[in-house]
Amino acid sequence: MKAVQRIFLLALCLSLLAPLAWGEGLADKVQEHTLKNGMKLLLVERHTSPTVAAWIRFRVGSVDERSDERGLAHLLEHMLFKGTKTLGTKDYAAEKPLLDKIEETARLLMLEKSKRETADRAMIAQLRQQLDELEKEAGRFVVKEEFAEIYARNGGSGYNAFTSKDGTTYLINMPANKMELWAAIESDRMKHAVLREFYTERDVVMEERRRTYDTEPEGRLWETFLATAFVVHPFGQPTIGWMSDIENLSRTKAEAFLHKYYAPNNAIVAIVGDINPVQTIALVEKYFGDIAPGTPVPPVAVEEPQQAGEKRIEVIADAEPQLIIGFHKPTLPSADDYVFDVIDMLLADGRTSRLYKKLVVEKQLVTDISSFTAPGNRYPNLFNLAATPRAPHTVQEVETAIYEELERLKKEPVTERELLQILNKLEFEESRQMLSNGGLARNLTEYEATAGSWRYLIEHRQKVATVTAADVARVAEKYLVRENRTIGVITKQEVAK
Amino acid sequence: MMNRVNRLLLIAVTAVSLFGCATQQKIVDPRTMTFPALRFEIPKSERLQLANGMVVYLLEDHELPLVSMTAYINSGSIYEPAEKAGLAGLTGAVMRSGGTKDTPPEKLDAELEFMASSIETSIGADMGNASLSCLKKNLEPTLALFADVIMNPAFREERVTLAKNQTLEALRRQNDDAKGVAGRELRKALYANHPLGRYPTIDSVKNITRDDMAAFHKRYFHPNSAILAVAGDFDKKDIISRLEMAFAGWKKEPVDYPPVAQPRQEIKPEVLLAKKEINQSVIRMGHLGIDKSNPDLYAIRVMDYILGGGFTSRLTTEIRSNQGLAYNVSGYFDVGRRFTGTFLAETETKSETTAKAITLMRDIIAGMTRAAVTDQELKQAKDSIINSFIFGFARTDAVVNQQVRLEYYGYAPGYLENYRDNIARVTKEDVLRVAQKYLHPESMVLMVVGNDENFDQPLATFGPVREIKLENGK
Repeated sequence: MKAVQRIFLLALCLSLLAPLAWGEGLADKVQEHTLKNGMKLLLVERHTSPTVAAWIRFRVGSVDERSDERGLAHLLEHMLFKGTKTLGTKDYAAEKPLLDKIEETARLLMLEKSKRETADRAMIAQLRQQLDELEKEAGRFVVKEEFAEIYARNGGSGYNAFTSKDGTTYLINMPANKMELWAAIESDRMKHAVLREFYTERDVVMEERRRTYDTEPEGRLWETFLATAFVVHPFGQPTIGWMSDIENLSRTKAEAFLHKYYAPNNAIVAIVGDINPVQTIALVEKYFGDIAPGTPVPPVAVEEPQQAGEKRIEVIADAEPQLIIGFHKPTLPSADDYVFDVIDMLLADGRTSRLYKKLVVEKQLVTDISSFTAPGNRYPNLFNLAATPRAPHTVQEVETAIYEELERLKKEPVTERELLQILNKLEFEESRQMLSNGGLARNLTEYEATAGSWRYLIEHRQKVATVTAADVARVAEKYLVRENRTIGVITKQEVAK
Repeated sequence: MMNRVNRLLLIAVTAVSLFGCATQQKIVDPRTMTFPALRFEIPKSERLQLANGMVVYLLEDHELPLVSMTAYINSGSIYEPAEKAGLAGLTGAVMRSGGTKDTPPEKLDAELEFMASSIETSIGADMGNASLSCLKKNLEPTLALFADVIMNPAFREERVTLAKNQTLEALRRQNDDAKGVAGRELRKALYANHPLGRYPTIDSVKNITRDDMAAFHKRYFHPNSAILAVAGDFDKKDIISRLEMAFAGWKKEPVDYPPVAQPRQEIKPEVLLAKKEINQSVIRMGHLGIDKSNPDLYAIRVMDYILGGGFTSRLTTEIRSNQGLAYNVSGYFDVGRRFTGTFLAETETKSETTAKAITLMRDIIAGMTRAAVTDQELKQAKDSIINSFIFGFARTDAVVNQQVRLEYYGYAPGYLENYRDNIARVTKEDVLRVAQKYLHPESMVLMVVGNDENFDQPLATFGPVREIKLENGK
């Protein structure tokens, strides 16, 4: 249920992203099947243990929200745990009129609150009390967390979901003998979801926001940095939404979003583990085959205009300094995306990487430096460098040292040995990513959704192998330049005590 | 490419828009579905001993061309002197980063990374680890370096300084994260005057020398104090001879462990506050708990599940799902292996509902001691624990490492084999009995990090408040 957005998680996510590839064997192991309603199935049979990872990825994420919908994809992710017309309720027919009254009351409350200074306070208090009472009344029909309860008592493990800029994923690991339970629950959720307990869950999401951003200086730096780097493209808006965005989300909006997009034609399903593919396809056909397709997610039409010059932001916080630098770059299928994978590994992957050797070991300006691509992959994104300065060294010193290394990329050709090492690491990664059912299911759904096909996993190393020293210099010269960068820093708050 | 993808999508959708209503499926009820039995046996690794006394566990898996190893070395920060707190952790880091007697760090890094092999080392509270991961084709050179790192680390002065500098910077930043502060300060209070409650300071780290690290390593790292877990794509006979060869120079030596007392058992309630200008309070509460030899372990596991484990627990249902007061809430016994463990409950809530959340948590915890759980709660907990047991065995490397940890910590034979039966035997009466015996809701240490000016009630409502001044590095 966590939005995958924290800077660390993001870095983690994306460290998986760069090094992936041409898994010998993976090509033969993946079976594809597309249902008539457009749902894409990717199956991998492996029998290490009698368990199965099942991931459902919708091709709709926070990048697909309009400005008055910010935070909706993520809140909806939470809401889709609340049951259906038959699960999570004792009597939907009796519950429904109350849910409608709740919605009308909440709408009036939000409307009145939006008048701010001129709002009628007595009316707000009265509506709020009414809302509380209605929710309590509706609560009598709720069977608490019934999806989770049924999955758990059947041994389901790791039941969760996450929302990113690019998509929304629902995942679980099931004992191999219970895949029909998964199919029954998940198809019911796709067809008959009911967004009950909406306004309480919205409070939970506000607490999630406080926990991940408001009280985390690095979280605040990250969301401010992104909102600065992207002023037009929705990649700049936080997946969880700004606080006032969340405060104004309604069930009505969420349902419209749900019914438009959360349909089989926008879904990719990966099932990895102890399965019989023929039976599994039949099972999925049986449960999901009759679901009508929804609206294909339309592409985001707006483009981030070219920066007119360097952008710089500061977050003052009760925390020691941090630095992040981001450069706009193209995304897949641009060939330059593969060159950036090489640059990423050259600069900050491992103890032999250039920035680690220079800034961490030799100059000791930082204790830690990392690079990663973010915040999503469906649209042009950013190549980022994040560093933790070591006192008494300043962020300015660190910045200067980083830029020196970036200039080196433009002037000194990368060696054959450096390129070979990157290919060797990708070869290892091809096997490593198949160690767990869940890891493989994650990669299959992620790349099917963002790279156009899971075959990216097979082809990546071959594509990287064609990158030359001249490509690295050219791409560095083109993108790693002052006017294309955004810089964010945390400055320690001066406390008068 | 994006445009092309979208065009394809549109075409695909046009094609299926003709799709009408498919066959009617039979309605099944997920509440009452039944399933064929699951066939599962706990996979067994093989245990053997090398000529030098090192115990090795092997589990072959030829699906992927990978080999992984983890050595468990009986060591830990519990054995470091108080005035050098941080010594074990630094020794663990510099074993790898400082290179070996024959291979300087730059060369070690370069050779390993070129093969895409990795070797890492660390020393925690009561365990030292060295791990290896590589492609099968690179096993021979990687294993040679692995053995060299374990046996002959050089602790080069410049790398010692680097690691100390990094630790000092981390200490300067130790109060940046409110959740980190809460966890640390609560642990300090629960394990007062015990090595498990001790944290490095700027002074203690400055005290640590290169020779301290070399001596710490020399004292504890011997084949007779090590167990090695090996998983992946290897042949048993071949790997044994490779291991014998790689570790041939490592000789048995008696290890003299300093005595470490058990933590004080008496329960001493306290209310601690660390002030930070944040809009959400970090709330932690708890007391000391049990260790692994406690026969009530299984009843406590069931109780844990009902109280604070997972999405259907009492804490999550009430505080998150019903009241919307928090995103994260949990409560559980962290069962001690060598020492008494802890019971901890945690949440974060906006400043204005801090006292409300604390009161609710305490009430819910106390509720476990007042009345028996329901039949449905008991069944849900037992079914969940028993049916999800298999996920501990989903990866070969996890299986072999789990079996090594059982020997390392001296679990009773049959612990894993009998686990599900022991859970199945737990009754409602057991759960109530262990709740009354091991939960002490009136005597918990309460730790809050937040802005007390905005709390709904003063923290003093819960007892006399001791304020913790946050000073970096101390």
